[in-house]
Amino acid sequence: MTEPVRILGFVNHIAPAADIEDEIAQALEWGVDVIVAQGTGSDWGPYWLGSGEQVSANQAANVEPYVRAALEHGIPFVFSFGIAGGNVHLETCLRAFDELCARNGWAPRLGVVRSEIGKDYLAAAVADGPPVVPASDGAGHGNLTLADVADAERIVALIGPEPVMDLLARGVDGVLTGRALDIGLFMALPMLRGIPTAVAAHAGKLLECGGLGLSPGDSGRAIWASVDATGFEVRSPSRDADATVRSLVSHTFYERSHPTLEENPGGTLDLGQATYRETELGVRCEGAVWHDAPYTVLMEGARREGFRAVSLLGVREPALLAQARGWADAAEAQVAAAPRFAQAFASGRLKVATRIFGLDAVLGSLEPNTAVTGHEAGVLVDVVADTEDLAKEAAYYAFIRLFIGPYPGRKTTAGNAAAPIMPVVVPVSEVFTFSIYHLLPLADPLEPFAMSVETFPRTADRQERTDALV
Amino acid sequence: MRLYDAAAIVRSKNAGPFAVTIDLFFADEEHYRLARTSALLTPAGVAAAYGVAENTVKGVWWDDRILAAKVSLQRWSSSSDPFCADLFGAHLHTPLAAAELV
Repeated sequence: MTEPVRILGFVNHIAPAADIEDEIAQALEWGVDVIVAQGTGSDWGPYWLGSGEQVSANQAANVEPYVRAALEHGIPFVFSFGIAGGNVHLETCLRAFDELCARNGWAPRLGVVRSEIGKDYLAAAVADGPPVVPASDGAGHGNLTLADVADAERIVALIGPEPVMDLLARGVDGVLTGRALDIGLFMALPMLRGIPTAVAAHAGKLLECGGLGLSPGDSGRAIWASVDATGFEVRSPSRDADATVRSLVSHTFYERSHPTLEENPGGTLDLGQATYRETELGVRCEGAVWHDAPYTVLMEGARREGFRAVSLLGVREPALLAQARGWADAAEAQVAAAPRFAQAFASGRLKVATRIFGLDAVLGSLEPNTAVTGHEAGVLVDVVADTEDLAKEAAYYAFIRLFIGPYPGRKTTAGNAAAPIMPVVVPVSEVFTFSIYHLLPLADPLEPFAMSVETFPRTADRQERTDALV
Repeated sequence: MRLYDAAAIVRSKNAGPFAVTIDLFFADEEHYRLARTSALLTPAGVAAAYGVAENTVKGVWWDDRILAAKVSLQRWSSSSDPFCADLFGAHLHTPLAAAELV
């Protein structure tokens, strides 16, 4: 008989609720065998992956109350870190984790999984292995090519549960990973303890977003489950939220194309026959099925597309609001027609868009309204060019045409719009695209990933050696 | 009745960067049935509401237990597009929600 595995789950890129200590105390009273939190994702788009930067979520601060509880009670923890989850992103979080440990006098021995895929490794896989196929038919990608590999700034893969299982089996105090399959983090300890993959994956599916699966949903709250060989019970550690059948089934829908089927490394989770039954303290979930499939990991790679500069104008003049789209289109056309930009436009090195907040900025061509219906609107001039200088020059050119360009019936001949931001042209950032969103077949789920066991806080010497990986 | 008025919750979100999924939750059996039997909430109806090809609609699914529906389609402009207006896909429900449940 397999012993139940009790999991406390949360989301580490969201700041915890103010009363999170009470939730942790409640979960500890029920019993906790592992504390798990996701901290990576692709939802923010390809920018962080390409640039090496990350959203300022302070993930080390978010995990502090959980790590304190884990170390005090000898409970292992499993966190993915760094949003885009490349080596540079993970390292930023690990250094914050070093500081957290130093400040608290903690010295945990932790497994670390780096999720970046080396270009040489991937090029060899493309050249010698089976086809590396696109993961999504909506991406417009073909099978992966050597040029795709060479052009990417950085490539990560969503590690499955296996690298985490390998490290947990070594008796570490916790595991920190880069980009990872969210549910895989939750599956690792149950699978290591012999719980069927279907049950482990189903539990992971319901726990992966922390308190978002409860009612009311809030990822700043935690969630708890006790997982056994045939199913699991989910409870809310917060008195202000509840696990209900509706909240949990709704959560199986969340961010998934299909309501009951989810493709994962090594198989598909099938919740078509899953059952949910309310218990005294929560909901009992059973009936998941796992269909085995060849083992693949999803890779994400980002390629630089150019540099973005923007300008913002506010319009409150009724005569102009009535013809805002035509006025903005005319400015766009004037940029395109300017001899200084002609070559860059023709070769695709310069692209200009105007988005009118108050008219069509959200839906674009799907917007049914053809005129501004409110009393004011904002015009965002959005330029992407191959260099920062060209982007700024074209944005300023468009700004001036919008600011002084004549339009029918104009009375405000000294200036068409209000400029709210100085400088009027704002250089934003490099722009990236997901050039790789492909499935990499793996004979060994651990093979491409650098794994180590390290004592935190790491010494400066150790950090320097890590620099070689980033 | 517009879908927006029939549903209690209408939520839109990315399902990976290249797909968007719209979850619909209904407060009672009456509104759920109205939606379930509509022509709007079929692949053809969804495609028409968004002005996209029907083969880019991944599906429309129903869950009688919780009076819910799921609509998924390929994104026509994703976060991979430099001019994407909605990185998280959180506002892509609006053309569907505004349509009449016929």
